[in-house]
Amino acid sequence: MAEFSWASRSPLEHALVVGAYGARDVEPGISLTEIRNFELIQVMARRGKGAELARTAKARFGMAAPNVPKAVSASDVTLIWSGPDQFLVLSKGGKHAIDILSEAFSQSASLSDQSHARVLISVSGAKARAMLAKLSSIDLHPAAFPTGTAAATSIDHTSVNLWRGYDRPDGQAVFNLLVFATFAESLWHTMLDAAAEHGAEIGYSEELG
Amino acid sequence: MRIVCPFCGERELGEFTYLGDAKPVRPAAGASEDDVFDYVYLRDNIAGETTEHWYHGGGCRAWLKITRNTLTHEISSVEPAAGAGAAKVGA
Repeated sequence: MAEFSWASRSPLEHALVVGAYGARDVEPGISLTEIRNFELIQVMARRGKGAELARTAKARFGMAAPNVPKAVSASDVTLIWSGPDQFLVLSKGGKHAIDILSEAFSQSASLSDQSHARVLISVSGAKARAMLAKLSSIDLHPAAFPTGTAAATSIDHTSVNLWRGYDRPDGQAVFNLLVFATFAESLWHTMLDAAAEHGAEIGYSEELG
Repeated sequence: MRIVCPFCGERELGEFTYLGDAKPVRPAAGASEDDVFDYVYLRDNIAGETTEHWYHGGGCRAWLKITRNTLTHEISSVEPAAGAGAAKVGA
């Protein structure tokens, strides 16, 4: 049998141009950062197994999986609510990869590896909320959408999982956005259009925030 | 119009898709042709409160059963449709 070597490439490889974008005569109001090379597992409880999944998840991750639209984080993993009886496991480094979680949840849930099926975009900066307000009908004001809030919603007719992560060291809010890989380029251009007037700093990172 | 999804909270109409009347019940196997015809094709055209199935496809992808007044568009109740949140069955 032929030996294959799969090179991992970002769906935004062509669309993402590192550097400044949009208005140049202002301090960039938005940071748009693609986070690359993560592991993402969709976990969905089987019929009648909601309580068992909750117990297993708590034992596995050391914290309860969210059963309302929230995202919770430990040092090595983030659990993001994605609908009734289901959540996403976002991590890095293989500790929570599909083969390991499949075993842990074999009795209570169905799992699907989304690691290469989604693009993760982090939006932050003084104008991040103003920019997202053009694209989303969700109220992202800190009073309505504090750190750890999550939403399964649509932006530009594209399904996204949106959640507010920990603030940046300078205190700015960070909004994380998971989008289907094949829709990512389209959404990326929409986001660039929305960000242009505020000036954006474009980049990518291998670090989960 | 906005719908308060029992899982997600208040969302705009664009995230939802309308399926139709939630009242018809699938006839048992072996039901008469008239019963099946009624189930598949015949719908009441209610001026007032009616129950409908909606799909939150732009959000949590749960099916919902909504009670809506066709005269005022007032939505008086939104609940998960049968099967939504099935993992809690028997839990």
